[in-house]
Amino acid sequence: MNFCKLLILIIATIGLSTAKAEQFGKPVDSASLLKISTIMAAPDTFLEQQVTIEGTVVGVCAKRGCWMTIASDKRFQNLKIKVNDGDMVFPMTAKGSKAIATGQLNKIQLNLTRTKALLAHRAQQAGNVFDENTVTEPMAIYQLVPTGVEIFE
Amino acid sequence: MSKTKRKINGYQLNRSLHRDVGYFCIGLVIIFAVSGIAVNHKDDWNPNYRIEQVLISASAKKWSLDDDTKLTHQLLAVSETNEKVKASYWASPTQFKLFFKNGNNLLLNLKDHQIVYEKITPRHVFQAFNRLHLNETKASWVIFSDIFAALLIFLALSGLFMIRGKHSPWGIRSLWILSGIALPAVYILM
Repeated sequence: MNFCKLLILIIATIGLSTAKAEQFGKPVDSASLLKISTIMAAPDTFLEQQVTIEGTVVGVCAKRGCWMTIASDKRFQNLKIKVNDGDMVFPMTAKGSKAIATGQLNKIQLNLTRTKALLAHRAQQAGNVFDENTVTEPMAIYQLVPTGVEIFE
Repeated sequence: MSKTKRKINGYQLNRSLHRDVGYFCIGLVIIFAVSGIAVNHKDDWNPNYRIEQVLISASAKKWSLDDDTKLTHQLLAVSETNEKVKASYWASPTQFKLFFKNGNNLLLNLKDHQIVYEKITPRHVFQAFNRLHLNETKASWVIFSDIFAALLIFLALSGLFMIRGKHSPWGIRSLWILSGIALPAVYILM
């Protein structure tokens, strides 16, 4: 192998390795990979353990890059991953890319007022009519607090 | 050959150090100040991206709702875009999204018969400034930021010994110094 071929091989190797994925935080743990639909079917059972999820990035915090929503394997379902401002900054260009995230599931129990406000916001985003009198029980929301995230091109 | 012993003049040394450290800090002060303004007003203005939305009416179209590939082609044709598609996603039974490789995206809303084309343009300079200001780079930047903070403290303190005489900060001009301390103190105590 002459020098030129060796140089091309080195450049190609570097190029492939850097273009593969963008990593945030610690390495992800593929061994604990679970379907988002499995987690969301019984979220309370996953609160105390480390889980890894994967899916397409369908939403990113536009201002601080502090959260992303990952599409579930189940239609119309997704899971938000949320970090403290500045811990990881997810780029808006990640939308539509595949991502893997390892972390701990976090439960946020809302009171009735906040539940109504959240559901009203979701209805407004979906273009649906919302009657707050139909909501009588407070709900909880779940989000993954990641220790590591990988976003693939 | 005569030997002359140079006496170190503390006053001159302080002025020289204040001058050179000041020169060194110019770039960083500007970056942190500009980024600080941008981050302070992030609720009114997105410092990292310019996001433009274009609404396209899609009222008279019969969409292929049972075939995502056909629907994607229809959407690209109607919106007259030839951008490369990265992924598609049904956000709800009435909202279908297309994500393009250049970061832009397109939302078909079947409820109000509208397509929303969202163009996302990164503000590279502000992104870089904010990255430094908010310390997204971590580790090594923490050390550098600490040094920079120490240099700013040096500039503040050495500034007290820059000028002698009637313009020194030890006479009537000490009111400026006291005002600078009082202002944040009053704000905290209020």
